[in-house]
Amino acid sequence: MQLTKSESITWDEVEVGYELPVHEREITAALIAGGAISATHDYAAVHHDYHAARQAGADDIFMNILTTNGLIGKYLTDWAGPTLEIKKITLRLAVPNYPGDRMTTTGYVTKKYEAEGRHLLEIEFIGKNKIGYHASGKAVVALPVRG
Amino acid sequence: MTLTREEIDQYVGIDSEKIKGPDAVCKQMIRHWCEVMQENNPLYLDEEYAAKTKYGEVIAPPMQVQVYTMSPLWPVAERKLNPMEHMVKLMEEAGYSSIVATEQGQEYFAPMKVGDEISYTISVDVVSPEKQTSRGPGYFITFLYTFVNQRDELVCKQTFTILAYNSIAKEGA
Repeated sequence: MQLTKSESITWDEVEVGYELPVHEREITAALIAGGAISATHDYAAVHHDYHAARQAGADDIFMNILTTNGLIGKYLTDWAGPTLEIKKITLRLAVPNYPGDRMTTTGYVTKKYEAEGRHLLEIEFIGKNKIGYHASGKAVVALPVRG
Repeated sequence: MTLTREEIDQYVGIDSEKIKGPDAVCKQMIRHWCEVMQENNPLYLDEEYAAKTKYGEVIAPPMQVQVYTMSPLWPVAERKLNPMEHMVKLMEEAGYSSIVATEQGQEYFAPMKVGDEISYTISVDVVSPEKQTSRGPGYFITFLYTFVNQRDELVCKQTFTILAYNSIAKEGA
């Protein structure tokens, strides 16, 4: 298995305005239904049953918020490596992620600070698909310092 | 059918009893999560790597906390309805039977290790006035969750907002 590189980006290397790499993810039905049932144990019908989703006014089954949250967490550690500690994620959902979509995630550093002996960054992120913003929000992460 | 403030407020601001999740934190559920997310963080998956970190062993992805407390599809848990379930039922009976999550905030504290048992309490924090949305008329409802482990250490504080809406009453539908 190809695991994330174990050397991590350090706090020293990053300044306010730093842009995280762009990440693209194909949104498949397996990701939506598997994200709901297998990964997050969410059996709400709109995430696996096309007819139930249509009845709720959606175009197709759509991604649950816990899967979106998981993908954002992955985006952060994919970037900086496993020594990045996720302290907080706050996200708002707008348009749904449907099968056949592609989500493009971007992020940049909005704050760099120290608190309680931790070296922290605030990161604003956006997950966008072809209809618009699927998710937007802020994360707070702690990074190691050099040396 | 618009609900009165009294009908709504009867469930606001009351903590549920502590509800214990059905599964302890385990490698299987971590792997199933990682499989779907395509998550390859060695801290969640690679025992050799994790043993050398400050945790000394693999931890579950912090974003997975709520998964350990999701209600089973079957058998239906035999317990009193919690304030969230009361609120959802009230909405449903008034015609706002479709639900979509709109916001979530999670703040993480103690890491989750294999064998940890996660419990939570939940309350209804805020309910908006009825709003006309693109999905139909509905209410935005914010819940507060507190997740703890078997040692009563705080694991996560979560805010969670849903829109409960009436998709049939959507104008022009």
